[in-house]
Amino acid sequence: MKTLVIGLGNPILGDDGVGWRVAEEVARQTVNDPAVEVDCVSLGGLSLMERLTGAERVVLIDAIFTGTKPLGTLSHFTLDHLPDLSAGHSASAHDTSLRNALNVGRSMDIPLPDDKDVLIVAIETHHVYDFTQELSAPVAAALPQAVALVLDSLNHQ
Amino acid sequence: MAQRITIDPITRLEGHGKIEIFLNDEGDVANTYFQIPELRGFERFCVGRPVEEMPLLTNRICGVCPEAHHMAAAKAVDAVYHVEVPQAGKKLRELLYSAFYCTDHTTHFYALGGPDFILGPDAPVAERNILGVIHKVGLEIGGKVIQMRKYGHTVVEIIGGRKVHPCTSIPGGLTKGITEEQRKEIEQMGRWAIEFAQFSLKAFNDIVLSNKTYLDLIVGDVYTHKTYYMGLVDANNKVNFYDGKVRVVGPDGKEYVKYAPNEYTQNIAEHVEPWTYLKFPYLKNVGWKGLVDGPDSGIYMATPLSRLNAADGMATPLAQEEYDKMFKTLGGKPVHQRLAIHWARLVELLYAAERWVELATDPEITSPDYHAIPTATPTEGVGIVEAPRGTLTHHYWTDERGVVTKVNLVVGTTNNNAPITMSIKKAADSLIKKGNVNQGLLNMVEMAFRAYDPCFGCATHSLPGQMPLEVTVRDADGNPVQVLKQYVD
Repeated sequence: MKTLVIGLGNPILGDDGVGWRVAEEVARQTVNDPAVEVDCVSLGGLSLMERLTGAERVVLIDAIFTGTKPLGTLSHFTLDHLPDLSAGHSASAHDTSLRNALNVGRSMDIPLPDDKDVLIVAIETHHVYDFTQELSAPVAAALPQAVALVLDSLNHQ
Repeated sequence: MAQRITIDPITRLEGHGKIEIFLNDEGDVANTYFQIPELRGFERFCVGRPVEEMPLLTNRICGVCPEAHHMAAAKAVDAVYHVEVPQAGKKLRELLYSAFYCTDHTTHFYALGGPDFILGPDAPVAERNILGVIHKVGLEIGGKVIQMRKYGHTVVEIIGGRKVHPCTSIPGGLTKGITEEQRKEIEQMGRWAIEFAQFSLKAFNDIVLSNKTYLDLIVGDVYTHKTYYMGLVDANNKVNFYDGKVRVVGPDGKEYVKYAPNEYTQNIAEHVEPWTYLKFPYLKNVGWKGLVDGPDSGIYMATPLSRLNAADGMATPLAQEEYDKMFKTLGGKPVHQRLAIHWARLVELLYAAERWVELATDPEITSPDYHAIPTATPTEGVGIVEAPRGTLTHHYWTDERGVVTKVNLVVGTTNNNAPITMSIKKAADSLIKKGNVNQGLLNMVEMAFRAYDPCFGCATHSLPGQMPLEVTVRDADGNPVQVLKQYVD
């Protein structure tokens, strides 16, 4: 089964760009693997749903702010276990939540993965208000582990 | 006992927009404050970079309208290089922009603004979203919305090189043109978009305008402010999204001023309040008189409704008919009722679709003359476009090598900072009496937000899908005495 790996976030807004950085490294390490497609986008809601069209299995990599975990803490869960609406780059105030958008798409018979087949790999971030391309040290330090987690998930389909 | 009420849209990453309502000793509203999170250091991030990178960088500021930032930046960079884009280049950019407008206005109407009307403002919050709209109106509507978005994205990709975040605008024009085959495809999609816009206006007519309760809500006093209105107009004073002069009309609807983009600093000043980092732009030559409306207050609005108020009409025939109908129904120009922004947005949707087809059938659109090589020494330049949410200004300064030395942006939401604050105050005034907070407050505030559609962070950040609000009523010591919640898990 082919897997679509997507880095989410804003690449010029500090730690918010961590999803892109992980995805870019995953792309480098899976360049010869025809079963893996990697992309980096700044999308949410309907636009993200549209990007997932046709994918059977998806890995979303994103910054998360729970406020309860140390900076750089790695977590992973499937979309059906998304802790709450306000987690993940899954929505926009100008749009709708990713889960809602996926339901809209499914009701239109658009081929979309099940929520349980959407894995979210999240890295705890705090510094997302300052324009910079640099990651903070604890978030940068989490990169290898996050990349390993994504690669591992690809090997255990 | 003075009270403080905080309406707190709880968000994930970027902090959050926040509304503070202070009550006086009688328990009535004394003041309201609307605050949004500050994103820092954009100018510092840009300084030292080649200015031609700006159209790529600035479309990462905003996750909602990257195309608008791309276009404003492209025009500012043209101005920095003192280069005139050939007609075919201008038309290609405007074609891309028209298709983007169709996508953006569609999403706003069906996913955000429409649900309040289609399902009713009193419908359970969990149903007031696009899925609820589909359940109520039928699957067909959902399919059309998805199709409209797909076509809009496709045109952006064909001309802009990439979906959502276009990358083809450079100083003097574009990096590529379109083939006759692509032109045909774009034209076909545009013709479908016109039908879709007409379908949307009919749905608005059948569901909203024929319902007296909704019509009363639109024309009611709660969201009415008699301010100035701003919008870009073409040489005939018709609405234009991509190019032209900025025209401002007064509360009486008469032209107050019309100026070229590079004259904005002579016409717009920014007021600073100690309680928010977000500035309040106002008409410099009218002056800042506080958060009040009327001809003596320099507060202006920049939204779809503002553009229709500020122009003499629409440049396309079908949109002109709808323009006339809207103003006739609402009692003539200008329209001061903010909820009419939703209607104005649909009139603009039809205009954008018609313009799309006009440009796609323009004999010049496939011309290879879409770029002029800049030869002058770069200095300083201003680019203004109409973003879907309001007039968007980019102003760059460079050294003689074209390296950025200074940046100033005035974005849609900033223009509307004062009107949004005024609408919130008026809603609060009507729903808070003698310390009693009506449960409808959250909804009324949310409806005001939805009409203006503010970009909180104007960043690629995303907020939760439904705008979560939390109102905390506080006594004089800051102790919470009452909490109202919506959409908060």
